Amino acid sequence: MDDYKFLFKVVLVGNAGVGKTCLVRRFTQGLFPPGQGATIGVDFMIKTVEVDNEKVKLQIWDTAGQERFRSITQSYYRSAHALILVYDISCQPTFDCLPDWLREIEEYANSKVLRVLVGNKIDREDREIPTHVGEEFAERNNMYFLETSAKEAENVETLFIQIAVDLIKQARNRDVPKYDDTTTIEDRTTSIGNKLLQ
Amino acid sequence: MSASEMSFEEMQEEIRNQLEKLQIEEDSLQEEMSTIMNQAPFLNEKIKSLKKLVPALKIIEHDAVGLVNTINDISDSSEKISGKIRLLDEARSRVQECQSRVCDLIDLEICSQGVQAAILDSDYEKGAAHVHRFLSMDQSLLQKTANDVENISNTLKSVRTLQDATSQLRALVEHKFNEAVRNEDLVSIERFFKIFPLLGIHEVGITEFCTYLRGKVSLTAEKNLKTAITTPISDKRYNIIFADTLTLLFEGLAKVIDIHQPLLETYYGPGRLFSAVNILQKECDVQVRRIFNEWMKCRQINKKMQQISEISRIGPNSSFSKLERIDPKDLDILIGEITFMHYRSELYIRFIQRKVMADIEIGILDSQKKEECINAFSQALNNSELTQLKHELLSHYLRLEQYFMEESINKAVAMDSVDSSQQTSSMVDDTFFIVRKCIRRSISSGNLDGICAIINTACRVLENDFCDVLRSKLRQGYPSGYLDLTQAYNVLQSSIQQGRLQSGDTEQSRTAFIVALNNADSCIEYVDALCEGVLKEIENALPGMNSNEHGKLESCLSGLSSVTSNLKEIIEYGIQQLRSSVIKPRVNPWVDAFLNISHQFTEEELSVYEAGETFVQTLIMNLESLLSSFKDMLTVANYDAFVGALTTEVTQRLEKVILKSSFNGLGGLILDKEVRSLASYITAATSWSVRDKFARLTQIATVLNLEQVSEIADYWGNHDGALTWRLTPSELRSFLLLRTDFKPDDVKRLKL
Ligand SMILES: Nc1nc2c(ncn2[C@@H]2O[C@H](COP(=O)(O)OP(=O)(O)O)[C@@H](O)[C@H]2O)c(=O)[nH]1
Ligand SMILES: [Mg+2]
Repeated sequence: MDDYKFLFKVVLVGNAGVGKTCLVRRFTQGLFPPGQGATIGVDFMIKTVEVDNEKVKLQIWDTAGQERFRSITQSYYRSAHALILVYDISCQPTFDCLPDWLREIEEYANSKVLRVLVGNKIDREDREIPTHVGEEFAERNNMYFLETSAKEAENVETLFIQIAVDLIKQARNRDVPKYDDTTTIEDRTTSIGNKLLQ
Repeated sequence: MSASEMSFEEMQEEIRNQLEKLQIEEDSLQEEMSTIMNQAPFLNEKIKSLKKLVPALKIIEHDAVGLVNTINDISDSSEKISGKIRLLDEARSRVQECQSRVCDLIDLEICSQGVQAAILDSDYEKGAAHVHRFLSMDQSLLQKTANDVENISNTLKSVRTLQDATSQLRALVEHKFNEAVRNEDLVSIERFFKIFPLLGIHEVGITEFCTYLRGKVSLTAEKNLKTAITTPISDKRYNIIFADTLTLLFEGLAKVIDIHQPLLETYYGPGRLFSAVNILQKECDVQVRRIFNEWMKCRQINKKMQQISEISRIGPNSSFSKLERIDPKDLDILIGEITFMHYRSELYIRFIQRKVMADIEIGILDSQKKEECINAFSQALNNSELTQLKHELLSHYLRLEQYFMEESINKAVAMDSVDSSQQTSSMVDDTFFIVRKCIRRSISSGNLDGICAIINTACRVLENDFCDVLRSKLRQGYPSGYLDLTQAYNVLQSSIQQGRLQSGDTEQSRTAFIVALNNADSCIEYVDALCEGVLKEIENALPGMNSNEHGKLESCLSGLSSVTSNLKEIIEYGIQQLRSSVIKPRVNPWVDAFLNISHQFTEEELSVYEAGETFVQTLIMNLESLLSSFKDMLTVANYDAFVGALTTEVTQRLEKVILKSSFNGLGGLILDKEVRSLASYITAATSWSVRDKFARLTQIATVLNLEQVSEIADYWGNHDGALTWRLTPSELRSFLLLRTDFKPDDVKRLKL
């Protein structure tokens, strides 16, 4: 049951109504929920996936977009391994708010957090943000980019699995020992020292 | 004996065995056969008795065929009868219908005559009862009946009369109700409230009545708010006056609901509380917003929020800024008031939720309708001003609480003081007191998201700000000093004991270092206790948590464990600092003294050596003085870690100097003895097992203490006496070669 090899925290942020909850529900429960209310505070969901024969537990935090929940949602940024910033490709204002969201991420999240920009609702006919505009924004800000549809289940699985794959890679790189047992203790001291002093 | 004889005997043996097996098999077959034979008579008996049954079975078969035919006949005739019964039933229900139509017609007549009289008499109850009877008739059927009977015009007239009377009464009763409200005539208000449902206008009745109640709630609330605003600062409830006002509002509303729910249920039926609560909620929203706005103004919330966000933007330690910093102490009471206000709102919301859900549960039976109703109610509640304001209160609370926690901990760190009788300093107790207080307060808000956010904040502050302080203290290092060591430690120790810490920078830095190290260790205990205590308190405060909410909480609490691993890293870093600045410079010369001694003893030299102060005695004495100077200063766990580091250093250094020496048999013997006494000394000094750290050294001593090279076979290999070696074969060889009396060729030839 609980025999997973990795545990990652993924936090979704972005304006209210862009489809964060739908993305999470699509991924964790395989459905597109009909008319549920706006998220209050934060919702918490778990899904275990298998990547390279390794069980990976994804702890997904779905946040409320409104200002009045900010003090709750911000407190989850720091321990996140990945942050998914979502906008609605059919709604220009949700795209215009991205810089504000990035500022918040800058302020509260770990600088090494994996950041993914997601343009959701590509099933809609009334697109306002062309793909390349989103892509360029992501590139300028060092983020991964993906367009999705929670409604049509497009790219949703890919989004989360790709995040899992990347985080595993990161974790493995970090785990490669910097020293082994045969080196002398002096080396070890400095390596700990460096870590603390950096 | 030759080989062929051997094999002949073996063959014979084999044959005998086979024979024996065959005999056993034969015996068992024999036995089986005789059992079967024994059964034969019984079986014969059975077959005979079965044969006797055959004629009887034939008779039964015949009878059964007859029975089937009879049953078929019966089924046919009952089919015919039931058709007739169906017809009868139909006829009966027609008769009943007819009867009820006749009844309706008779009642229609009576009602139409009675209703006008009742209206003229102002007997509204009676009039409404007639209308109620009329409305309970199937109106379309009435129309059909009218067509069937001869007296068409009469029936239609009655219907029209009653229809007119219905709308007349509806208007009248509404008018009368409003009149009663204007006159504050409570008796009439209740009287007409009961009439609405008889006239089939439940929703109108509820709206009228609840609008009336709304007005009453509004009056009281306005009065209460006025009192609140004019409360003098000197009043002892001044600081929570808005929480009090909010409480009064909620209690008033709850009372209104509690009092009128039975009335509503009796005269309107269950399942209608939702409509009533919806109307009252509108007033609740208006009043809550007013109280909230006044509170914001009076407590200068916006100004405070602005200050706080500016301070956090500039950074916590910019004491030079011109910004007016809010003293966290000054926020304490305000934060208390907000949590109280939030908790009250939460309780009221839960109250109406419980009430309405229970009413829907018994009042609406259709499951789809029920779900729709529940959704509509939840939606309405979630979108209510009350809920929005509750969220805003929580948001303000969290901002203030987070500021309070950070600033108070900054203060605790800034005012850190060392009490010479303590191993830790004041900032640890103070910090965890603050963290605990803040988390407790968040629990009293009654909101899981709020609690989780404060736990997250606590993790952040502890892991970043607080650990950084400890780290930077350790980064200053532990000055190893220029005094003769024993002297230095004695000075340090006595100065700590006597509280004279100002006597030198070095001593102060040493104390600061040791205290920081101890602080880190005691923090680990605090974090564990915090985790455990908080979980229990939350479970008590929120008994209805589902597994998802539990998961949320546990995930946040697990953030505290990363604080612990940070602290462990800090301690490890500190111990390594001590190792390089304190342990290494002392221990190395002590151990190196081993090189000044010849390890090629004659019997005479040996007795001289053992009569004097041996190498290991001097070493232990030195270690003792070093350890005793740290024992009282360090916490138990830190002292153990210190002993561990010391052990590693001593054993590794000793290994090195052994490799630079050469031994004869007696030299090896002495080494083995000395290693043993060193190991038992250190084992006694700590609560940890240091056996592992001594494993290599003990094996080296064993190797050097062999009588002959070949004796190694007793310890090496796959037999019971063999050791689990920590030395590689080539290391083992190089140690054997230190024995001058062993032939290098013998050593080389060893198969390892
Ligand atoms: N057409 C379309 N609508 C979507 C999609 N994802 C979400 N929505 C709709 O967008 C609205 C808001 O979705 P929600 O998940 O609650 O947004 P959140 O506030 O970001 O959590 C809902 O009405 C959804 O049905 C999508 O991929 N395509
Ligand atoms: Mg949502």
